Amino acid sequence: MKTYVAALALLAIAACNTAPATQGDYKTVLTFGPGEETKITEAFLSLKDSSSIELKEGRYRFDNLSLVQLKHIRIKGAGPEKTILDFSAQSQGGEGIRVAEVKGFVISGLALRDSKGDLLKINKSENVTITDVHTIWSKSDSTSGGYGIYPVLCSNVLVENCYAQGASDAGIYVGQSNKAVVRKCKAYKNVAGCEIENTTNAEVYDNEFYGNTAGFLVFDLPDLSQRGGHVKAYNNHIHDNNERNFAKAGSFGTSWGVGNAAPGSGVIIQATSDVELYNNRILNNNSSAIILVSGFFVDGKAGEKINANYFPVSKNIMIHDNTLEMGPAFPEPVYAHHTGKILVAIEQKLGARIPMIVYDGISTNVLTNQQLQNPDSICIRQAGQNLFVNVNALQMESKDWRPSTDMTAFNCQ
Amino acid sequence: MRWIVITVMGLCIACNQPQQPVAFSFKEKLSDYGFFTGALKDLRPVAGILPYELATPLFTDYALKDRFIVLPKGKAIQYRDSGVLDFPDSTFIIKNFAYTDTAGRKVMIETRLLFRDPADHGWKVMNYLWNAEQTEAGRWITGKRIPITLLNDERRAVSTVYQMPNTNDCKRCHSSNGSLQPIGPKARNVHYNGQLEKWAAGGALQGKPAQVAAMPVWNDSRHYTLDQRARAYLDVNCAHCHTKGGDADNTGLFLEYEQQQPNHLGMLKQPVSAGNGAGGLDFDIVPGSAAKSILIHRMNSTEPGTAMPELARTLVHKEGLALITAWVNSLPPQQ
Repeated sequence: MKTYVAALALLAIAACNTAPATQGDYKTVLTFGPGEETKITEAFLSLKDSSSIELKEGRYRFDNLSLVQLKHIRIKGAGPEKTILDFSAQSQGGEGIRVAEVKGFVISGLALRDSKGDLLKINKSENVTITDVHTIWSKSDSTSGGYGIYPVLCSNVLVENCYAQGASDAGIYVGQSNKAVVRKCKAYKNVAGCEIENTTNAEVYDNEFYGNTAGFLVFDLPDLSQRGGHVKAYNNHIHDNNERNFAKAGSFGTSWGVGNAAPGSGVIIQATSDVELYNNRILNNNSSAIILVSGFFVDGKAGEKINANYFPVSKNIMIHDNTLEMGPAFPEPVYAHHTGKILVAIEQKLGARIPMIVYDGISTNVLTNQQLQNPDSICIRQAGQNLFVNVNALQMESKDWRPSTDMTAFNCQ
Repeated sequence: MRWIVITVMGLCIACNQPQQPVAFSFKEKLSDYGFFTGALKDLRPVAGILPYELATPLFTDYALKDRFIVLPKGKAIQYRDSGVLDFPDSTFIIKNFAYTDTAGRKVMIETRLLFRDPADHGWKVMNYLWNAEQTEAGRWITGKRIPITLLNDERRAVSTVYQMPNTNDCKRCHSSNGSLQPIGPKARNVHYNGQLEKWAAGGALQGKPAQVAAMPVWNDSRHYTLDQRARAYLDVNCAHCHTKGGDADNTGLFLEYEQQQPNHLGMLKQPVSAGNGAGGLDFDIVPGSAAKSILIHRMNSTEPGTAMPELARTLVHKEGLALITAWVNSLPPQQ
């Protein structure tokens, strides 16, 4: 009885937390099958608030679809293996499905394939749930769109049980958003498996990011609407991200974006703050398990970009209790990549296998002209051998350059 | 007793819900509105409708555009210095799209309407597709790909598949901070050929100051500098999205005429989400080098995902591209 009451209480709490109800409470439910693409396109264009569009099993071909300025909308398929939306014949526009300014949006149970640009872009929307959605490009090369799942400038985003493959940028990308959860997702054969960019209060857990160039990225970029930070990533399995970087040079900024990610990177944290990375299994990413860098690492002029929305030095980073393992040698594609070559140079300089955590060592000392030990609260609590290297990246050009494997200043208290 | 209760309730309803205007819905046919007299195709406006032109217009595949404002009886536009003029509720803005065919005839394609709904003071959009007989245009929300052969500004025949936008595409460019807004009729862009003076004199415009800043005319090199013309072109063709609150505000590339920040203008600015559109280039604008500038690359493309603007353009605007190329090449190189 006690359990029963507790369970009820829990249910009640759960009900309170999930503000937008999603079951059976749409005023209009429209159901379509394959062959009805024209009607579906019209329905998207003339949709009223509180509507659900349900797509039966089968393959649908679309140029593009869009939803704009609505409230309480759901798109529901019969399952990601069953309801497939094919955008390969797209003739105009940048996205497969484009959602803008929708309050209360749910998309579930379908696969989106082969658009020219992004597959699912959700812009300036609130209370967004993306669940059981697959975004797939058949080919993993630089012609394959940009992002798979792409909420940007949104608030309250949940990405759950999704799969992203083949994106020439990030498979799952949350940008310039507030409050986001990415959980139980998989990302495979993208340049970046998952990326959290200029986003605050994000939690990323129970995911598997594998077979990408880089598994998981937390970045802040300059000149955007807001700073990111307060990101937690835990219980993820980030493994075997050793593939060639097929982002088109410049597409994502050779210095700022994902084109910069070295093949063989597990996790990259760049120019952001208040990140906690724990209880992850980060295995067989053979250039580095974790890279922690500042904006200066990729752009000597990063200091000129400091403003309320951007700070180039990563601060308050906690890395603890992860399982870290790396293979005995770099993956082949790292030798052809511009940041990859830096990692190779570090290994050569050390004369031993590159350590699992690579820190560029560019701290706020560079801005304050001080010599403080760990002024940016970088905190690492990890067991194991060959854990850490401080690249001392500012000295790389000089002949006295020495990367240091002394982690003392960065040990968590 | 019951009777009294009912009466009271009835009274309440009456007080709380003053007479609601009938919900607005767009009519089926363009002719249903009675905007024009004579053959519809001639677009001869009835008395009181204001035709207008822009100093620098938006490029749409060399389309011929006719623009009109329909004010509700007895109402006037309120002048506003920045942004679009303040139109009264129940205003229609009409924009007609046509092309010149190889025989030199004007062929109507589509008519777009914006209406300011008194119910919520918001703007609504609708498209009308012209029939093959060129006698009528019917309500059409889904957009259409229309193969045409047109004469461009050099009177050369060009074949393309014209992209009539769907109604959500319309909202995309017309969206500003979550609401729909007209794009073209900003004070400085309609301050052209004496239009503002004419409207003020005729009572259609209130509050016009003595001096109004004019938008440079993009192809008038006698009166305007290269910089002025280029910035006007970018404002009109790009800044409805590339502005704070616009559809592309996640990019940080802001191209309004007033924008002064070099990084927001794209000077040595790295792209954020350009995808393949960047074409292997690193910066939106490399001052002094159009060849290295993503902006030029995207204006020079017709590929989906690369072409900018993303909508309403399937041909390269050669003259516009030449202007922006000359401007980028004229910018002093930066370190």
